[in-house]
Amino acid sequence: MIEARGLTKVYGDKTAVAGVDFTVEAGRVTGFLGPNGAGKSTTMRMIMGLDRPTSGTVTVNGAPLARHTAPLRDVGALLDAKAVHTSRSAYNHLLAMAATHSIAKKRVHEVIEMTGLAEVAKKKVGGFSLGMGQRLGIAAALLGDPQTVILDEPVNGLDPEGVVWVRNLVKYLASEGRTVFLSSHLMSEMAVTADHLIVIGRGRIIADAPIQEIITGKGQVRTRVRTDQPDQLMHLLAGTGVSLELQDNELLEVSGLDPRQIARAALDSHVMIYELTPLKASLEEAYMELTKDEVEYHSLITTGAVPVEAGGN
Amino acid sequence: MSSTIVDPTPSRRGAHAGDPLPGKLSGNGTSTGPGPSFLRVLNSEFIKFRTLLSTLILLGSTVIVMVGFGALSAWGTGQFSEAATRDPQAAARIAAQGGDFVVAVPTSGIAFAQLILGSLGVLLMSSEFTTGMARSTFAAVPRRIPAFAAKLVVVVLTSFLVTAASTLAAGFVSVPILDNYGLDLDLASSQSVKLLIVNSIYVAAVAAIGMALGTLIRNSAGGIMSLVGLFFVAPIAFQLIPGDFFVEARKYLPGNTVDPLTALDHVPDTLEAWQAGLVLGAWVVLPVLLAGFLLKKRDV
Repeated sequence: MIEARGLTKVYGDKTAVAGVDFTVEAGRVTGFLGPNGAGKSTTMRMIMGLDRPTSGTVTVNGAPLARHTAPLRDVGALLDAKAVHTSRSAYNHLLAMAATHSIAKKRVHEVIEMTGLAEVAKKKVGGFSLGMGQRLGIAAALLGDPQTVILDEPVNGLDPEGVVWVRNLVKYLASEGRTVFLSSHLMSEMAVTADHLIVIGRGRIIADAPIQEIITGKGQVRTRVRTDQPDQLMHLLAGTGVSLELQDNELLEVSGLDPRQIARAALDSHVMIYELTPLKASLEEAYMELTKDEVEYHSLITTGAVPVEAGGN
Repeated sequence: MSSTIVDPTPSRRGAHAGDPLPGKLSGNGTSTGPGPSFLRVLNSEFIKFRTLLSTLILLGSTVIVMVGFGALSAWGTGQFSEAATRDPQAAARIAAQGGDFVVAVPTSGIAFAQLILGSLGVLLMSSEFTTGMARSTFAAVPRRIPAFAAKLVVVVLTSFLVTAASTLAAGFVSVPILDNYGLDLDLASSQSVKLLIVNSIYVAAVAAIGMALGTLIRNSAGGIMSLVGLFFVAPIAFQLIPGDFFVEARKYLPGNTVDPLTALDHVPDTLEAWQAGLVLGAWVVLPVLLAGFLLKKRDV
């Protein structure tokens, strides 16, 4: 179990993590989701004791990592695919890591087999592709057969087969009762991997809930309505908690009201509706919704998708 | 990235695709098994040390440079002494040196050994940071100091042993060359042994200073430049700057502590031997303590 309490990291005048509280429970895959620069990696480095929190605490199984008697056997982490000396072979890297905890050579060979690195294990890590680097990072994380596994963007650079492998691996690890904490900026990956989701944006926790709840709860129910009297209908529907968006001449998107309420209001005022479609929010949309105000680096393409000011008037 | 392609065929790299049972994993609660004791971390650091080709190349070049300079110096000394038999002026100069110039032949490459092994000290730590290896190292040893101390032991011990061994090798090569010119070098004489030991300790100290610099600066070029600045530039600069302060300060530079420690008689304008020992010790201990303290404190 990983527990963060008031965890804060400030670099100069930039707050990377702003007093977050969360708990990562054992026995399930907890996704850590957020756009680039949201504070995911910083948080994970603080869990691993590599970055010192400006304030607050983070513990693994009740104690900061530096106080564990056998850290590598308790917590395994893939923090960065490049946390390896480029001139050393993968095998020797793992051997040196294993030596700190008297982990047997047999285990080194096991994790090499497990991650599919057998053929390149004796080669210098500097020549590895991003995907192979990720596999080596995962091998290093599993070396101590740890109860807690932390993986920062593990599917980055992996081929589709590798992505499926990681997905199955983390689910398997969680099914064994381990704590699995997995970060990604890809909502779609989380949707198929995680059981529980912690969403972070600009160093703050935006959501911390089972994945189902995030899909259905946070993403508001929206309804697409076509009518030939949009102005009148908008007037009828307007109220607190209701947002209306006129998308086309006769096309309206309503959120905050369910289809039945919309139909009732239209019927009462004799406004004809010729389409009424409930829109189920995908996780991707829910994520965009959650983080749209929190994105650190808006790309032009992303801002283009929200043409409220630009195209609205 | 959000690919949903499920390829059931095993890849070239092994049949692990979609295999949910990745080897043996016990997965029961908290850790059982040994943690990072100092000896284990030392073993790990030694594995890291010997599995880098660049380390082995630097060690090898130290031996080559030491033996090469020893041989060159033996030859040069022989030529010089031969000339002295015909030239009374040269003979007088040899006499003025007190006749201990032959004994220093095996250690004549020491300035280069110190540069190479000092740089090795810098590189072993700075490369941890430049390659990102430090994240793996300190995730395995989150208390950090054991890893730092273990690396220091590896650096100091190897530097000492390599310097001693290459001094000895240089001696063995020099003896027959000197013999050709009728000069006698006794490698077992107390002065020979003293030179070997003091110079080896000195180079080990330089390597320790290098490692401290590598830890503090975390950048290979910056660390090596600082080392060169301290050992090669500062002595010259201090000599050029006028004023009594710099004449005095120059004695306290780490590079100027060897002469007083090895000389048969006290050399003017240097420290006493015991002072030089203390000064060199301080040059090692203070940067190492500072480096250890900041390594513990700073983010990796």
